Amino acid sequence: MVLSTVLICCAASRAVGGDLWALKPVQDPPVPDVSLQAWPRTPIDRFILARLEAAGLEPSPEADKRTLIRRATYDLLGLPPTQEQVRAFEDDASPTGFEKVVDRLLASPQYGERWGRYWLDLARYSDTKGYVYDREATRFVHAHTYRDWVIRAFNQDLPYDQFLLRQIAADKLPADACANDADDNSDLAAMGFLTVGRRFLGVTYDIIDDRIDAVVRTTQALTVACARCHDHKFDPIPTEDYYSLYGVFAGTSERLMPIHSPLASRSPRFAEYEKGLKEREAKLDAFFNSAKADLCARLRARTSDYLQAVLRADKLHTEIFYTIVAKDDLNPVIVRQWQAYLFQAGKRFDPIFAPWTALAAVPADQFASRAPQLIHEVTADARLNPVVAKAFADAAPTSMSDVAKIYGKLFAEVDQAWATALKAAATQSLPDPNQEALRQVLYAADAPTSIPPGSVSDMEWFFDEETRVKLQQLQAEIEKWDLDPAAPEFALILQDRAVQSNARVFKRGNPADRGAEVPRRYLRAVLGEDRKPFTSGSGRLELARAIADRNNPLTARVMVNRIWLHHFGAGIVRTPSDFGTRADPPSHPELLDWLAMRFMEPAASGHAWSVKALHRMIMLSAVYRQSSDDDAPGRDAARTAADPENRLLFRFNRQRLDFESMRDSLLAATDELDLTLGGAPSDLASTRRSVYALVDRRFLPGVLRAFDFANPDLHIPQRSSTTVPQQALFFLNSAFVMDRARALAHRPDVQRITPPRDRIDKLYRLIYQRPPTSHQVDEAVQFIEAPPAPTPAAPTRTTGAGDWQYGYGAYDAVAQRVTGFKKLPYFTGDAWQGGSNWPDAKLGWARLTAEGGHAGNDLQHAVVRRWAAPRDGAIAISGRVVHEYEAGDGIRALLVCNRGGLLASWTLHNQSADANFSPVPVKQGDTVDFVVDFRNNLNNDMFTWATQIKFVGAGGGEWDARKDFSGAPTDASGPLDPWELYVQVLLCSNEFHFID
Amino acid sequence: MSEPFREQMLRSPSRRELLSRCGMGLGSMAFATLLGDAGLLTAAARGAETASMVNPLAARPAPFRPRAKRVVHFFLNGGPSHVDTFDPKPALQKFAGQPLPGGSLRTERKTGGALPSPFKFKKYGQSGIEVSDLFPRLAQCIDDVAVIRSMKAEVPNHEPSLMLMNCGDQQMARPSVGAWVTYGLGTENQNLPGFIAMSPGGYPIKEAENWQSGFLPGVYQGTFVDPQQPTLDKLIENIRNPRIPRERQHAQLDLLHALNVEHQQSKRRADPQLEARVQSFELAYRMQSEAAEAFDFASEPQNIRQLYGDSVHGRQALIARRLLERGVRYVQLWHGASQPWDSHDNIGPNHSRLAREADQPIAALLTDLKQRGMLEDTLVLIGGEFGRTPVVEGGTGRDHNPYGFTVLLAGGGVRGGSVYGATDDFGFQAVEKPVHVHDLHATMLYLLGFDHERFTYRYAGRDFRLTDVYGKVIHGVIA
Repeated sequence: MVLSTVLICCAASRAVGGDLWALKPVQDPPVPDVSLQAWPRTPIDRFILARLEAAGLEPSPEADKRTLIRRATYDLLGLPPTQEQVRAFEDDASPTGFEKVVDRLLASPQYGERWGRYWLDLARYSDTKGYVYDREATRFVHAHTYRDWVIRAFNQDLPYDQFLLRQIAADKLPADACANDADDNSDLAAMGFLTVGRRFLGVTYDIIDDRIDAVVRTTQALTVACARCHDHKFDPIPTEDYYSLYGVFAGTSERLMPIHSPLASRSPRFAEYEKGLKEREAKLDAFFNSAKADLCARLRARTSDYLQAVLRADKLHTEIFYTIVAKDDLNPVIVRQWQAYLFQAGKRFDPIFAPWTALAAVPADQFASRAPQLIHEVTADARLNPVVAKAFADAAPTSMSDVAKIYGKLFAEVDQAWATALKAAATQSLPDPNQEALRQVLYAADAPTSIPPGSVSDMEWFFDEETRVKLQQLQAEIEKWDLDPAAPEFALILQDRAVQSNARVFKRGNPADRGAEVPRRYLRAVLGEDRKPFTSGSGRLELARAIADRNNPLTARVMVNRIWLHHFGAGIVRTPSDFGTRADPPSHPELLDWLAMRFMEPAASGHAWSVKALHRMIMLSAVYRQSSDDDAPGRDAARTAADPENRLLFRFNRQRLDFESMRDSLLAATDELDLTLGGAPSDLASTRRSVYALVDRRFLPGVLRAFDFANPDLHIPQRSSTTVPQQALFFLNSAFVMDRARALAHRPDVQRITPPRDRIDKLYRLIYQRPPTSHQVDEAVQFIEAPPAPTPAAPTRTTGAGDWQYGYGAYDAVAQRVTGFKKLPYFTGDAWQGGSNWPDAKLGWARLTAEGGHAGNDLQHAVVRRWAAPRDGAIAISGRVVHEYEAGDGIRALLVCNRGGLLASWTLHNQSADANFSPVPVKQGDTVDFVVDFRNNLNNDMFTWATQIKFVGAGGGEWDARKDFSGAPTDASGPLDPWELYVQVLLCSNEFHFID
Repeated sequence: MSEPFREQMLRSPSRRELLSRCGMGLGSMAFATLLGDAGLLTAAARGAETASMVNPLAARPAPFRPRAKRVVHFFLNGGPSHVDTFDPKPALQKFAGQPLPGGSLRTERKTGGALPSPFKFKKYGQSGIEVSDLFPRLAQCIDDVAVIRSMKAEVPNHEPSLMLMNCGDQQMARPSVGAWVTYGLGTENQNLPGFIAMSPGGYPIKEAENWQSGFLPGVYQGTFVDPQQPTLDKLIENIRNPRIPRERQHAQLDLLHALNVEHQQSKRRADPQLEARVQSFELAYRMQSEAAEAFDFASEPQNIRQLYGDSVHGRQALIARRLLERGVRYVQLWHGASQPWDSHDNIGPNHSRLAREADQPIAALLTDLKQRGMLEDTLVLIGGEFGRTPVVEGGTGRDHNPYGFTVLLAGGGVRGGSVYGATDDFGFQAVEKPVHVHDLHATMLYLLGFDHERFTYRYAGRDFRLTDVYGKVIHGVIA
């Protein structure tokens, strides 16, 4: 029997417009009746089976125990089970055997690392800001604290509604229910959800858009960002709703908060850190305050110009059109601040701006004819400030530009009066209350000529270019300092501003073209037409509550679907972050609702919104335990023909390991995996779990991209799963995989076994958790005992390789020596550098290769190729330093001997120089340093410096920097022996990479 | 094809799901089959394509008749001055040092009066198109080039303008043109990356965002190569193995194949995911030698190496030709790290030096492609992210200018020896037949056989296009 795919998939009717299924309240559907009574273990199975039976299909038999425990362990931990765990489960004949496995896995701290990472994909997690100017710091100091909070929340099974509330509004909630300490503010880290997005070069509109998109797509699976420019084309999301949410985020500013947690231990160097921090903060504050005072004075003095500019505000450029403004240029940000002020004033009879409001409403071509009458009316109004009334009574403006001049003159007089009054005596206000009212327009805390309180990142655009650069530099000094290991952990939170206002719609998304004002409130699609505006602060907590609400039709459904997706490889709704009209309807709508209902109810084991209870419910079902492979000949083909994508789940879906599971499994197989929880980002070359590796959205390593890692610039609900040769190249050729093969072959419990066949058996159990077949043992033996290839020519190293060191340090011109020499820590196979990424987060561009290298990012990070004399004598040094770039200012090269001091130095900019010296006397242990620094700035500081050293006279001895260049002095990077080659093959195999 | 590219595929929900994840590693349906069913593949091609199941980079024909099959983009990053190169403005002489009548447009920095070009323009070729003495060799090829003198972008800043030129959006994370093209056409040589970006000395500003895949799967991201790197394994990650001799690796692959076949046979159904992974190792093995060979420009005959010149820019243009010849779909050649063409001061000496570096390699590639018969189906784009102001900045330089600038097109389907559009008398602003960057993208896609309005990808509830909601094909530059 062949059923049409279309018939199967459209069983749930496609809703249109306001009739969208996802927006209807969650139902509690009855559990359906089924014929095959023996199969279901749980109600979930009855929902699945009912659809299968309706389509004339049968489910698959249960998977064998090894498959099942492997599946469950990868599923919950992203790691393989140990052979002991497999054996214990196989030997456990009790009916609750699998239940025990699931409970053990859910209690493991590795669970949060696996499921937290899925959440981080949604949260566009990155440890760096994305593209920033050179003067700014690139690293987020708070990102990993958010990552660790997410992992902890999953491990503690923080109720999902609480989990969401904290990520959107932890600052407005009482301290963590899980904390025992009143001072514990570690929950603030949750707000990293809002603040780990890209920085968009500081353009606020885009930063807010990113936050709206992350919140609404993650929690509601609605694509609200589509409504930035126009009403959503397909879903009931008007553009006003986008700006309702925009208003919420526009009413917030960023604040970096140190975390106080009883879990945190204080570094012995804390005092030193704190002192340095205070110095840097004091510098920034002093500059910031004086810049603000200076700017506000300038703004008050130019009121007339700004009012004129408001009249042309729609022609103004936004921040993305970045002009290098000088101190006296009109700043579009201030113009928009005046524009907003006048817009608010225009909503009522404003005693000062009533004439402006009245006249601004007149079309320009009627101004001359209608203005006199309007002025007459408005000046007759007793509510008008008499000072303003007088100014207009005496004037006959012929255009709005004249009106602006009248106000400008008024404010100039008031400001002058205030200056005079201050000179005369210390005072708080002008004696004339009418004049004082005018003064308040310029001097009140929320004056349009003031800078709203907030952090540098919130208000850099208020300043001229020179000030902006300086502010960013000072801010970067602090951020770099905060990366010190002695620093506390930080949360970057949003906090509500003191003054709140609604956003106005940006017509067609253009911030210069403002439309109607919209209240801050939640989406019509969810709450209906008569939803109430938010009333408290920015409304962020109310927003969070509207989402984390039992009656919200989307929240539970969306999360249930995400969890289902990661268990089965596909969701009940196939577009996990789009439940809109254009999405496929759910394959099992009743099951989705039934699960959503159970999710929101208190679980038997504890609380409501329990993610762990949901896992348990799903994993104990018969549908989860099905084989991914059928055993009845012929049946499988028919079922595949009827339902090619297995939407009805007649079997389990085979899944390939994702990047993290793959890498972690390699380290688990070798027994090298470091299970330390949390902390600052680690290196991909380390043995920590992959979830802790630095995610640099600016320089994402190729291996992450090749293995479909989530793009950290975007919310990623489900990763691609591609198969490309770059992945195979990684397995065939990367140092990481070869090192794992070596480590596994050299595991003591492997080495201890000498008979080859037994050792092969052991390897199979370690890698696949099963014994090999006898055929597999035979082919292994054959491989291992094959005669070695005729070209065993291991890379030849001259005996002199050990006399070189590759490091960095600073050249001290007074002492004429290199100070602070440290070895570069990481060898790529061709270069010594700071880490596997280049540039490295700490050591930047510093790098040495066989031929030359690249100077580090400052004078403290000159690269140093150091030769140490093995005996006394005199040497001849020869070579040539080359810099071949026009851009930048070139490099400085120095030849320094610890005995003779500086031998020579060169400044080279697209130039080269011979570096020949002879004889140079040395004693055993003396060093000769070949030093290159960046001169004055970091730009094209790559160089080559091939050099030779030779003892002159008797005894001989020759060194060649290029030929001698090598990696670690141990043979760790040498050729692989047959066992290692064999293990590498086992690690490459499909069996290792697929979960049945 | 009457329905948009996406719509056809969307009729079957299964297809939509497959496409939204790009059809890889997902059960039994192959991406190529999918495109075939959607009418994107000819019947003949379909047979060939279904063999390469589950490979997102498998070559596939364009939906419409393509005029070009591959692209090379010389990105003169930093903003080359059009009034000093391809858009002569004698009127600047008249107002030298004076404010322009009609004033200056707002750019990034403060500008002053008119700055006449220090370079001489001359007519070249049959077409008699004027080119300045900065590009004497490229000028010899001008009859193969369409000069678009009325380009415009949005803002006078490098970062958003680079994003606009490369990805069609100034700020948001969107796929680059190369990623779109590789998504649409796959690539002809599975042993090499489909999309390669080269920049001597390191990344341009905005770094890898310039060749990003955005919301498309990561396989469509450009592979970055620094042609200044001395060894092959620095050019392409993991391309060779210093620790395992080739014979041993071959033996490893034989054993791996045997293990994978046994594994597959232990399963009761064929699974294309398993098969695809087996194939990827075979591909990788071949890629090691093929990539080494492709980048080995030293094997070119002496006369060809002389044609390109002994410089890093010549080298990368020559490597580009070797890559294109071997089936790489999209090659982007940056002038260099950071933003070399950004001549805020000393425009004379700076542009002289930069043009000296760029001229010979560009001319060489055009000549070489032509003599190999490849120019007729290779689309060549030459230009920066914007132009420069006709008015002076700081005495001797020019500021950024997005209001009017020049790019050159050549090759597949391009009307050679033509000039399209014009800027005002001074070169400040495109006034005649303005061509927005979106229009340029629409035209490039057209030449490659796509309708830019139907070539979409579903992401975040929207069908995204390279040209967003803009763009029109400029038929005036098409032969």
